[in-house]
Amino acid sequence: MKFSSLKGYAFLYLVFLYAPIVLLPVFAFNSGTIIAFPLKGFTLDWFRDLFANQTLGLALKNSLIIAVSTSILSTTLGVFAARASTRFKFPGKTGVMGLIMLPLVLPEIIIASSLLVVLLAVGMPLSLFTVILGHTLMATPYAIAVLNAAFSSLDRSLEEAAYDLGETKWSTFRLIILPLVTPGIISSALMSFTISLDEFIVAFSLAGKETTLPIYIFSQLRFPKQIPMIMALGTCLVVASIVLLATAEYFRRRGLAKTGAKDTGGFL
Amino acid sequence: MSQLNAAARAPLDSRAKMIEFHEVHKYYGDYHALRGISATIREGEFFSLLGPSGCGKTTLLRTIAGFEDISSGAVLIDGKDMSDVAPNKRPTNMVFQSYAIFPHLTVGENVGFGLRRDPRSKAEKAKAVEEALEMVGLKGYGARAAHALSGGQRQRVALARALILKPKVLLLDEPLSALDKKIREQMQVELIKLQREVGITFVLVTHDQEEALVMSDRIAVMFEGEIAQLADPETLYRRPNSRRVADFIGVMNFLPAQILGEAAGHVQLEVGGLGRFEVTEEQASARASGAEPVVGFRPETLTILYEGQQAHDREAPATIDEVVYYGDMTYYDVKLDGVDAPVRISMRNVFGRPVLDVGTRTRVAWSAGALVLFR
Ligand SMILES: Nc1ncnc2c1ncn2[C@@H]1O[C@H](COP(=O)(O)OP(=O)(O)O)[C@@H](O)[C@H]1O
Ligand SMILES: [Mg+2]
Repeated sequence: MKFSSLKGYAFLYLVFLYAPIVLLPVFAFNSGTIIAFPLKGFTLDWFRDLFANQTLGLALKNSLIIAVSTSILSTTLGVFAARASTRFKFPGKTGVMGLIMLPLVLPEIIIASSLLVVLLAVGMPLSLFTVILGHTLMATPYAIAVLNAAFSSLDRSLEEAAYDLGETKWSTFRLIILPLVTPGIISSALMSFTISLDEFIVAFSLAGKETTLPIYIFSQLRFPKQIPMIMALGTCLVVASIVLLATAEYFRRRGLAKTGAKDTGGFL
Repeated sequence: MSQLNAAARAPLDSRAKMIEFHEVHKYYGDYHALRGISATIREGEFFSLLGPSGCGKTTLLRTIAGFEDISSGAVLIDGKDMSDVAPNKRPTNMVFQSYAIFPHLTVGENVGFGLRRDPRSKAEKAKAVEEALEMVGLKGYGARAAHALSGGQRQRVALARALILKPKVLLLDEPLSALDKKIREQMQVELIKLQREVGITFVLVTHDQEEALVMSDRIAVMFEGEIAQLADPETLYRRPNSRRVADFIGVMNFLPAQILGEAAGHVQLEVGGLGRFEVTEEQASARASGAEPVVGFRPETLTILYEGQQAHDREAPATIDEVVYYGDMTYYDVKLDGVDAPVRISMRNVFGRPVLDVGTRTRVAWSAGALVLFR
């Protein structure tokens, strides 16, 4: 078979994309403390260190609290915004939607510093809560983008039919619209969760004395002897991501199969 | 077919008014979508809104359902003003153009959807669903996934779902337009039967004049937000009140006419190819679209005479210009002597009678009583 240049390009692309990720587990199980070939021997020490590390445990817990809250908040806000922008006409709609979507193109460092200025001015103490606010601001535009697609593919007459058959506007939303946009909600929640989990700049600026996972990892990168443990942590995160993604995709596809909708692209 | 529908029932005029439109206007921004609609639809009537795309049929239907607010005027259902009644409180149900089948529910759940607030027991509701499915010929389909159905089956589910609530009025927005010709024709007959069976007032929106003629007790022909003519199918076909309606419904031939005079309820005409004759005032009430009067006649009101046949009334010499053979019918385009534009004649094919060739000289039988004068 001829190796066309396009195939070569695709191959190189995948190598660059995944080689570093493949190296993570390789060094996570390597008994040498220096990240270099040749490999020395097999060990589980780094994972043992990892699970014994209390600061890391706390950082992980904080990150999960932030990410789950962000995910719920931005998806909820996204549902309202997407519903409004796909179904209703109101004056200033384009402007309002533009402003909501703006964080998508603003540099994070600008978001972080301006939020910091505002929070200090209002006198709100920096905490996990302020990070959640910052992350929600960042993740909501992504949530809206995903949910907009889900809402706009809904046939309007479905809700009119339910209304016509005696349901109220609210029960129509609950019985018809919500189940049909569930795949979009799953996508949105997952995306917001991921955005929040690995976000560094805003978290670093707004967390105050608290630590999140990215902040902790960044602080440990200065100590060469901690690197193998970070590799072990990275390995765990990769496995967790794959499991999460696969689960979400499973539910998304099941949702699609149930409604017979056309697959318009998911995660896998 | 409409006779089949209207047969053996109380005459329309003696029945109660089910829907009344009083001077209904509807604006979308600056766009004047409904321009003073006034009409009455009677109880148990199969009523159609017919017109080209964009003339406001759907908008008018949706004012009955309550999905469109009207800008002025009034819509009454069963004598009650509907201006403050929300769609979920109106005694109407709708079959949507897209059918709007809930894709995440089963066929049975779809059909039973409107019974959610019904105080009856679960078993009674299940029975009602089963009966509704049987009524539309989908017995035993209850457990199937709704999204896996064919177009015709979806249509039936949508019907069952709307009829299970026993509404006073069933609204149908182009319910058959998405179906193949064969299934469409089959569904037309089934809908007529169903309507007679349940006795509910049906209001159908369609742009298909044939469909409207086949199914309706009465038809409102709409153009640009106005009702151009409201009549039963036969009147609409035989006595269109304007050239526009005549053009929209079926095929009509037109010949320029000269009005010679009017006297004692008759109009004297001179028409190229047909000569001098007179028509009654009743035949002369339709409006022409231009300044020139024309006479119009349907393709089946003219007959080509074979050797030895005699015209019952009048005849005119002609030449066959084009022949289109349809199996049961043949369409001839013939040129009447002295007229350049051909007119269309449809003839039922009869065993043993040959189809005539292009160029054949022939005679055409016609009758002044079948003409309509547009002026
Ligand atoms: N929601 C709307 N906003 C603005 N214009 C509309 C709206 N709905 C319908 N129209 C316009 O009103 C006219 C009549 O529409 P409709 O009733 O759907 O026509 P029909 O069903 O006869 O094809 C069309 O010109 C259409 O563009
Ligand atoms: Mg329409």
